[in-house]
Amino acid sequence: MAAVNVLYNVGARDESPDKTGFAHLFEHLMFGGSANVPDFDDPIQMAGGENNAFTNNDITNYYDILPAQNLETALWLESDRMLSLNFDERVLEVQRKVVVEEFKETCLNEPYGDVWHHIADMAYKVHPYRWPTIGKVPKHVEDATLQDVKDFFYKYYRPNNAILVVAGNVEEKEVRRLTEKWFADIPAGQTPLRNLPQEPPQKALQQRINQARVPSDALYLAFHTPARNHPDFYATDLLSDILGNGSSSRLFRRLLKEQQLFSQIDCYITGSLDPGLFIIEGKPSAGITLEEGEAVIWKELEMLLAAPIPERELQKIKNKVESNLVFSELNVLNKAINLAFFELLGDADIINREIDLYRQVTSDDLWRVAKEVFTHENCSELYYKTELPVKEVLT
Amino acid sequence: MPSNNYLRGFIEEIKDMPNRKTAPPIRPIERLDLPPVEIITLDNGLPVYLINLGTQEALKLELVYFAGRPYEQKQMVARATTSLLKEGTRQHSSAQIAETFDFYGSTLSIPQSLDTANLAFYSLNRHFAKVLPLLTEILTEPTFPEQELASFILRNQKNLREDLAKNEVLAYRKITELIFGESHPYGYNSTPETYGALNRDDLEAHFQRCFTIENSVLFLSGKIDDKIIGQLNKHLGQLDRKGRPTMNVLPEIPRNPAKVRIDHPGTVQSAIRIGCRLFDRKHPDFPGMHVLNTLLGGYFGSRLMANIREEKGYTYNIYSMMDPMRFDGSFYIGTEVGKEFTENSLKEIYHEMDLIRQEPVEEEELAMVRNYLLGSFLSMIDGPFNVADVVKTLVLEDLPLDNFSQMVEATRLTSAEELLQLAQRYLLPEKMWEVVVG
Repeated sequence: MAAVNVLYNVGARDESPDKTGFAHLFEHLMFGGSANVPDFDDPIQMAGGENNAFTNNDITNYYDILPAQNLETALWLESDRMLSLNFDERVLEVQRKVVVEEFKETCLNEPYGDVWHHIADMAYKVHPYRWPTIGKVPKHVEDATLQDVKDFFYKYYRPNNAILVVAGNVEEKEVRRLTEKWFADIPAGQTPLRNLPQEPPQKALQQRINQARVPSDALYLAFHTPARNHPDFYATDLLSDILGNGSSSRLFRRLLKEQQLFSQIDCYITGSLDPGLFIIEGKPSAGITLEEGEAVIWKELEMLLAAPIPERELQKIKNKVESNLVFSELNVLNKAINLAFFELLGDADIINREIDLYRQVTSDDLWRVAKEVFTHENCSELYYKTELPVKEVLT
Repeated sequence: MPSNNYLRGFIEEIKDMPNRKTAPPIRPIERLDLPPVEIITLDNGLPVYLINLGTQEALKLELVYFAGRPYEQKQMVARATTSLLKEGTRQHSSAQIAETFDFYGSTLSIPQSLDTANLAFYSLNRHFAKVLPLLTEILTEPTFPEQELASFILRNQKNLREDLAKNEVLAYRKITELIFGESHPYGYNSTPETYGALNRDDLEAHFQRCFTIENSVLFLSGKIDDKIIGQLNKHLGQLDRKGRPTMNVLPEIPRNPAKVRIDHPGTVQSAIRIGCRLFDRKHPDFPGMHVLNTLLGGYFGSRLMANIREEKGYTYNIYSMMDPMRFDGSFYIGTEVGKEFTENSLKEIYHEMDLIRQEPVEEEELAMVRNYLLGSFLSMIDGPFNVADVVKTLVLEDLPLDNFSQMVEATRLTSAEELLQLAQRYLLPEKMWEVVVG
């Protein structure tokens, strides 16, 4: 098999505040036909392949995976939609509806589905991370016009704003010839200037209580963290592993398994290109209030500040990271997506140094970063409460 | 006149200019064979399927017991037993087991399966010898501690309550219960009460009866050498519990399908499921139905997607699927649509079923489905872990390994006429259960 990955350096952070959700809607339109190809999916499927895409705050990423002998089909298709879309009013009309249904399915009809709307809105006041990728409200998606689509395409979907990766059972020479053939004549555009307002340091604890029709209460804590290319990214990531990765991780083992204060608990970082968030989320067990749940989480965080991480625990987390990296390399599509992302970070070769960057983190680094991240002033706290009184839910 | 040499150079250059109007030629997928699989037996008789293909120093070991729902003496005991194996042995606590596996970067997961109890274990080769003894230990003398079971029950009851707030969960539970019946292993649903009724003795009894060497099979994939096999024999090769559990007699399957509406006020989408009993993988119509299902709703270019998402915009996603099990199988269509589109969506789903029964598929569409499926067969055997999944499916459903090539050939040879006959045999509205939640 061969994988073709095209990363466009544009995401939800590049949207204007009154047209949110547009980068993602645009991703849908990229499948609706281009200058010379009425439908993107048919030829890929005819060639025995599959394709998909995802959008996040930072990037829009398209990928195709198909039998290696049909690599050229994917390059033809990707190059044609990079050359020009067909800007079909009918495609826009249908995809607006599809994306609104996606909005409903993932945010409105899903219990806790709007959590990210709340967290982003609390943690970010000026940076465009203050709205989620799907958009602030369905209305922004419904209002998108064909002129918006054209402007966005010619601003962001130019070859000089994209990264192409080909991976798999392919010959380098042949790949060079084919990519040259299909992509070389696509005109470059102006390099889009990105001048995003950076989020000033948070000065005070943010708190919000949201009531909704959910089956049980849930708790979310969000802390500001360094950007993806900051040297402390690796320490931050390891801290999230210490707390939440694996069934021996601290929050899972102590709070869920041993003390049984939570029925679900999780911890992760957003890893975004601009400064991101460290999220801890949990659902307290029956009879445990959100306040009590929050207090025990803080106790765990304070333990990180009180004493350095024991050597064995640090080694455990590094071993886990190494395993994850090796296992992720087994998949050719993963490889292609990761290479493109690291190239965007500045150098595809960082992928080869990742494991060393994690290995170099010391217990002192973790301690220092934990002290910076886990403060009340740096925290946004969301209590998600069920609309019904607790007693009624329990019966 | 330019010289011949000049002309040749010029033509080559032209040849490399992209002709964007025409698709590059597609090279068909030729023969597709499952990579070689070695079958060995450990000292204790445990069969092992070896898929030795890795480029990375990593392994996946999947141990499977025929210990799923068809063997239960109490509902939910199968899942509970498998889940609690790692929660304590005579020598090690739940916390110690978790810490050791994590320390060596290994992962133990318990994939969901109705028919079997599976333990999927991932490890780097160089740590394998250090974690294998502990893996063997949890299969030898798990203690199923009372307090671990109590917390498992509470956690699952709470998670279940959260799941039941979702229309798609309610709809899935209802359609499978309707198709197979509420006491059938493939049809029953967990409730707070079924969890609450579990006790330690049930788990212990299920373990003793079903987790035996004569009732299990092992799949090992990745980069395998003699050292790994030696380690395997030293540990898993010494397991010695004997016996073969008898399977439950499966209840009668309900007839006379009905339409069921479940009101769920306050939700903005309806979950739709339409389906019927079908068959297992051994059925002669399985390969043909695999193609027909793909055409109807099994890939992005399917009829249901083209109509209900790409033309009407009623939904973000719609699919049809076959769910084959060891002793039976089902077919269903599923989607979440805006509430205002519910009736129209139902109408269009049945309309697509009518069309596929009434008109033979055009050659171009058939070629697309065929090629797409051949590509998907190719990706199914790309890499050691994928091959192991194919082998596992075939072995667990009592099929010979060359069934893979047979499926490929059957897919290549499917005709419009055959698909039409299959549609007329199986895609019958009067045979379909219908569930709408919203």
